[in-house]
Amino acid sequence: MNTFVNKFSTHSAVSQLKRAQKLVAADEDEYSDAAWGSQGGFGNMIKGIPNFTVPAVPDPAAFLRLHTDDHADPSCKIKIQHGTTTLAFRFQGGVIVAVDSRATAGSYIASGTVKKVIEINPYLLGTMAGGAADCQFWETYLGMHCRLHELRNRERISVSAASKYLSNLVYSYKGMGLSMGTMICGWDKTGPAVFYVDSDGTRLKGDLFSVGSGSTFAYGVLDQGYRWDLTDEEAQELGRRSIFAAGHRDAFSGNTCNLYHVKEDGWKFIGNYDVSTMYYEGPGDVPGAPGGGYGYGIRTEGRSAADPPASS
Amino acid sequence: MFLTRSEYDRGVNTFSPEGRLFQVEYAIEAIKLGSTTVGIKTPEGVVLGVEKRVQSPLLEASSIEKIMEIDTHLGCAMSGLTADARTMIDHARVTAQNHAFTYDERIKVESVTQAVCDLALRFGESVHDEEAMMSRPFGVALLIAGIDEFGPQLYHTDPSGTFVRYEAKAIGSGSEAAQSELQDKWHKQMTLKEAQILTLRVLKQVMEEKLDQHNVQLAQVTPGKGFEILDEALLQAVIEEM
Amino acid sequence: MPDMHSLAQAQPQQQSFNPYTENGGTILAIAGADFSVIAGDTRQSEGYNIQTRYAPKVFRLTDKAVLAVNGFAADGNMFVKKVRQRLEWYRHAHAKDMPIRAIARLIQTMLYSRRFFPYYVYNILGGIEEDGTGAVYSFDPVGSYEREACRAAGAAQSLVQPFLDNQIYFKNQTPAPGTSFPRHLPLPTVLSLVIDSFTSATERHIEVGDGLEIYVVLSKNSPSIQGLRDVRGVTELTATEDGERVFVVRRELKKD
Repeated sequence: MNTFVNKFSTHSAVSQLKRAQKLVAADEDEYSDAAWGSQGGFGNMIKGIPNFTVPAVPDPAAFLRLHTDDHADPSCKIKIQHGTTTLAFRFQGGVIVAVDSRATAGSYIASGTVKKVIEINPYLLGTMAGGAADCQFWETYLGMHCRLHELRNRERISVSAASKYLSNLVYSYKGMGLSMGTMICGWDKTGPAVFYVDSDGTRLKGDLFSVGSGSTFAYGVLDQGYRWDLTDEEAQELGRRSIFAAGHRDAFSGNTCNLYHVKEDGWKFIGNYDVSTMYYEGPGDVPGAPGGGYGYGIRTEGRSAADPPASS
Repeated sequence: MFLTRSEYDRGVNTFSPEGRLFQVEYAIEAIKLGSTTVGIKTPEGVVLGVEKRVQSPLLEASSIEKIMEIDTHLGCAMSGLTADARTMIDHARVTAQNHAFTYDERIKVESVTQAVCDLALRFGESVHDEEAMMSRPFGVALLIAGIDEFGPQLYHTDPSGTFVRYEAKAIGSGSEAAQSELQDKWHKQMTLKEAQILTLRVLKQVMEEKLDQHNVQLAQVTPGKGFEILDEALLQAVIEEM
Repeated sequence: MPDMHSLAQAQPQQQSFNPYTENGGTILAIAGADFSVIAGDTRQSEGYNIQTRYAPKVFRLTDKAVLAVNGFAADGNMFVKKVRQRLEWYRHAHAKDMPIRAIARLIQTMLYSRRFFPYYVYNILGGIEEDGTGAVYSFDPVGSYEREACRAAGAAQSLVQPFLDNQIYFKNQTPAPGTSFPRHLPLPTVLSLVIDSFTSATERHIEVGDGLEIYVVLSKNSPSIQGLRDVRGVTELTATEDGERVFVVRRELKKD
């Protein structure tokens, strides 16, 4: 291959190697002349691939672990936001993606309005669990490459290819301390598709996934209600109900639920539902909702042992 | 004169005593061998048109690609050594995507043109200890059409890395006749439809074959739909209106 | 005892590279309909020592964007310097000021490029969007970001944010029958909320105090300018004509 191709290719072995060298060299802010020209200061993106500053210590990953709360040590200074309950499943009518919106730093609720569904492009969604910045950054980066794929091949990238691109990407940083557990969801020539990708390098194709500290609670509801031939309304309700369950039982999940539905013509945002409101009043007048609050305390009001109905 | 040429037209890094870079000038000559390409700017959008030279009835006309998308709001038509344009357009696409990634906004038409021209100037150059990546100037000229906060725009770039903004521009073998025709017929308040028809009329004048939907290609960039190449049915409709 | 001494010498010593310290202080930003308010106290401390009573944490980037940084002051100052450098490069390359939405994304990429050696900085970016609305973007140290209506960060974050939730988002409040809560508050209300936030944080947090700097960014021809008329000691910092306008209001906070 000629050197020109290598220079501008973003996926050749040479550029991979160059990136690796950049990582070791830790040459922060060595901007090329191009910084002044039309590249207008893409900064660490100047070669089309991001390069990273690494501390000049023998074990950079250990340095990072020491100073950031990598789950294990909530007392250290740099608190990276952590995402929590996310789920996605495939059914007859497409893909349902539902997530909560709570971000915690230690036991403090850093935000209750986090967007944990990342809109990669009009046909692809990614979910956010683990490091919020890792998911946001790499999934946006993935979006850029999906667009380039589209332009170069005159065809939309498959969900499988997109997820593999992401998994290869994070695998190349394995051991450096990235933290992400994501579902890449979309619709391609093969129909609806969901892939689970995480920062260990795992990539799984499947019908149904839930990721995060509240995933066990979500799975409980999801597994129980899941069928392939769910109607659109039933499926949306199942997603909402599962996130409610996680928000209710997991302290690190909650606030609101964001619901998306991916169909053949791309994804659609269905709605935002407050978990507390769902407990008392339900999700409101939406198709598929049974009416009334989801909370068992509401359902059984006046009929529990502690508060028996007057008739008994 | 002939003598100075033969002495100074070999290296891409060497000026002649008269201050000329012959290889670059020759590259500009190469464009005049290319098929005619026309671009017209209107307040409603920009129209690009190219002549496809279908040299043989066995040739699949649809495989000739001389208008390409850079991003949703940017398109590009070429004339000259079209193989060179692939490299330039890929660079433009990567730059546009990098810009969108870094700044969460669409790149300006001028900025993407500048990026292409920066690349065009990198022949014979070696950065640090790397070997030079290009041995000669690109032999292609581009018409870059796009829409940004300054409205519809049309830029022309050539192998010297120069870019100029035009209201209407023709490049390639029939460019002289085409350009004077454009000068006569172009006016400021053209509609997109008028521009499409003018583009085809201009192409028809300079083409040797009879113009039909197989040997020309038309594309446009509009504020509503962005870049699009007109399919054969749409193209035929414009040809019939001509 | 010489034996003990040599024993202590022989003991392996753990050395670790610790380039970070926490310099206290608090920042906050609130977005209005056509303005944005970004504020921070000016105390800088290390542990229980107050290093200085005037170290700004809020910086004007352009006429439509103001950045507040909190955490490790050295990282914060360097980060602001680098953002400004990138804004200038952008101006040279694209012949315009960077829109605030673009600055927000730029800050994400800059923070993330230090993913493996983070800036210990919590950023809040406030200003005016291209459509003239007030905007606040908040960031974590490695670049995850979100546009919000209000955000507090720093030492007294957990004191101030619940107050803002209640007063800006009207969390846990029920409107009187027949009324509803406003979507955006007027500038004078926001200014007094900001001042109250900081006086209260100063009362209850040892790392907050000394001085208060409040930056106000107004959209082009904003009628909210009326809200600044009666404010004592307003200084205008606007650099260009006919666009957004930036003001700073300074107040004293308790110094004990």
